[in-house]
Amino acid sequence: MEQICFELICYVGDARSSFIQAINCAKKGDYAQSEQLIENGLASFNRGHAVHAKLVQAEAEGMTDHLSLLLIHAEDQLMSAETFKILCTEFIALYQKIDSK
Amino acid sequence: MKKILLMCSAGMSTSIMVKKMKEAAVSHKEEVQINAIAEQALEEHIAGTDIILLGPQVRFLQDKVQAEAKNVPVRVIDMMDYGTMNGAKILQFALDVIDGKK
Repeated sequence: MEQICFELICYVGDARSSFIQAINCAKKGDYAQSEQLIENGLASFNRGHAVHAKLVQAEAEGMTDHLSLLLIHAEDQLMSAETFKILCTEFIALYQKIDSK
Repeated sequence: MKKILLMCSAGMSTSIMVKKMKEAAVSHKEEVQINAIAEQALEEHIAGTDIILLGPQVRFLQDKVQAEAKNVPVRVIDMMDYGTMNGAKILQFALDVIDGKK
């Protein structure tokens, strides 16, 4: 279980880092690099999501004795990555709007 | 004595990683001190540190932490090693960086 949590934290954490770096690149006007980082982020996020889907499936099949603080933390990281995923496209659009003026 | 500092957003998953690395350190001749801290706590822990390792979830902080850490090397832990909780490999990587091999 510890191992699964680490996998999850690792993938979604990496995604989160990429999304934040994408915003930083857009801030500097480097939109090509920004786009690349979003792509990398999405790839990691999807891998994390696959790990998470397995967990949800296991619970649906009756495995409910696996709740731990580490799992809650992993879930939190997943949501944080999800938030940054949405926000980073908004931020980049904003920077593009500002730059085009 | 070599001092290794691990850093992530809340210091939570890295705390477990510290445990894995300490277990791996037992078989090393070298004496090491390994600690996990949250990203905000760097200033009070940096004295005497030989290397700072970042978890993949705070990879974006590398430049900022490096600026604050000055001469202390700041590296991001390999994603595969982190995901598989490979404490031995991460410890070896840290020691190699300290010894200037990487």
